[in-house]
Amino acid sequence: MGPGARERMRAIPSVLLLLGVLVTMGTPTGGRAADIDAGRRKAEVCAACHGPDGRSTNPAIPSLAGQPTLYTHWQLILFRDGRRKDPQMTPVAAPLSEADIEDLAAYFAARPPAPPRGTVDPATAEAGRRLVGVHHCDSCHRPRLDGQNQIPRIAAQHYEYLLNQLRGFKAQTRGELEGTMTSAARPLSDEEIEIVARYIASLP
Amino acid sequence: MRFWHRCSILLLVASALGFYATSQAQQAPPPPPSWQQGRPPALGDSPLAPHAQPPAPLPAERIPVDKIKLPPGFKAQLWASGISNARAMTLGSKGTLFVSSRVAGNVYAVVDRAGKHEVKVIAKGLTQPNGVAFKDGTLYVAAISRILKYEGIEDKLDDPGEPKVVIDTLPKDLPHGWKYLAFGPDGKLYFNIGAPGNIVLPPETHANISRINPDGTGFEYVARGVRNSVGFDWHPVTKELYFANHGRDWLGDDVPNDTLHHVGGRPGFVPHFGYPFCHQGDILDPDFGRGHSCSEFNNPLLKLGPHVAPIGVAFYNGNMFPAEYKNRLFIAQRGSWNRTQKSGFRVMMVSLAMGQPPQYELFAEGWLQGDQFWGRPVYPYVMPDGSLLVSDDYAGAIFRITYQR
Repeated sequence: MGPGARERMRAIPSVLLLLGVLVTMGTPTGGRAADIDAGRRKAEVCAACHGPDGRSTNPAIPSLAGQPTLYTHWQLILFRDGRRKDPQMTPVAAPLSEADIEDLAAYFAARPPAPPRGTVDPATAEAGRRLVGVHHCDSCHRPRLDGQNQIPRIAAQHYEYLLNQLRGFKAQTRGELEGTMTSAARPLSDEEIEIVARYIASLP
Repeated sequence: MRFWHRCSILLLVASALGFYATSQAQQAPPPPPSWQQGRPPALGDSPLAPHAQPPAPLPAERIPVDKIKLPPGFKAQLWASGISNARAMTLGSKGTLFVSSRVAGNVYAVVDRAGKHEVKVIAKGLTQPNGVAFKDGTLYVAAISRILKYEGIEDKLDDPGEPKVVIDTLPKDLPHGWKYLAFGPDGKLYFNIGAPGNIVLPPETHANISRINPDGTGFEYVARGVRNSVGFDWHPVTKELYFANHGRDWLGDDVPNDTLHHVGGRPGFVPHFGYPFCHQGDILDPDFGRGHSCSEFNNPLLKLGPHVAPIGVAFYNGNMFPAEYKNRLFIAQRGSWNRTQKSGFRVMMVSLAMGQPPQYELFAEGWLQGDQFWGRPVYPYVMPDGSLLVSDDYAGAIFRITYQR
């Protein structure tokens, strides 16, 4: 990347910020205008597990790059108030301020998402695609499974992470905002969870 | 005799096979997410979905309180802000205003610090603690399947400690599981148990308004066939119960209406208000209505408009507003999502007079500007000085409405 391109990349966040200021009514952006640069600095500690730029290389840990702002924001609130529990995340989230959470959510939302996690054989792809349809995953996660608002991007997320979340929802141990995933995971068999997680991880 | 014996064995085998076949075929398809349940296939491409809840409140300087329009002589001010997802309100005997939330999981206390309203989080991480009620120094909080109590709360707002459990055996379903909570004139705690979906045949335990004694005993139903009521109040004179109800979704832009109801009649009788069979008193449900007539059920007192989402209701029993406001009912309408053109996002009022149809008028609007909204009014609350507080769960704020001649 040449220096010119780097300059342009740097200009993007400020354009986004300006847009954020202009589009205030009806957009659930929350409190003060989030500071993406501050978010980048605050995210340095996250990189140890979630990878540089929020693209995780640890299969048990999710990528945060490209997650909708509201998703990351709500999840950090859930970790902080104890509704979602995790040995690593609970202590990290506990001291976060409102501004920290806003900046981090805005920073990760502005990062380009991670590439797909490997490929699956055609039979698994077909079965996975069918499960996504039958179980209405695309209703909230959208047809490309890239998420919206408080709903996460799950395409190209790690297989092992997806597997653990779906198992947690089914066992009613994975905290969430409104119970939608706890209901959605209930009818999935253990085998179906594996197939759908493998398929979603392979999506771009 | 032998012939009939053989026949009956054959029938038995046939019906067993039939049962097996249907149980195989009826491996029920997984239900869609709650908000989408009941959407007809023809509307499969509809872009309509519930509006996302912002995870943070709007800062005070970005709350356009001047956009709120009221009748002449009335004025709205921003009373408190920074209350993420502010919902129901109840006043403590020492002047603390307790405020609930839904998905934010918090309960707040708003206290007066030399004229400034300071907001404290007194409980967090609860599951949709939408109901708050105060009595004899104790704050009661309803969070889906549990009702908790914080004794002597106003003396320990900075360290409320662990609550005691009043009851924890209510249904755990999250769809329409969040509760409004209030003490009735009989000293009992009233709350709703909503239908666990948009349009479903609810179990006997759901789609009602219920009550218990403040110690958690004596559970009983007060009203049945109520899809989801998260706002009710008792008439200051007759002491009878009035409640707002949310109609089902996905029947179209203009039906059914959300409704206002009145629980009257003989004590001990538990009236049925129609869900899931009949909506707005005169529309049979296309699926569940078969074999029923709307005349089997208690009709609504008033149709409030389609999809307007009536949340809180409060009778005006104060002295600040003009005399004709006495005993009027305020209804805060959070606003629609299941409608092409948005409706609601306002506070309406209803005048009730013996032997006359109720009068339904606009009181406050302006949260909706064109097709965009900046806030959503959810609960009205009459203060001892006669002013009216209105909470907003989208802007995370409380407005105070006053009147001066």
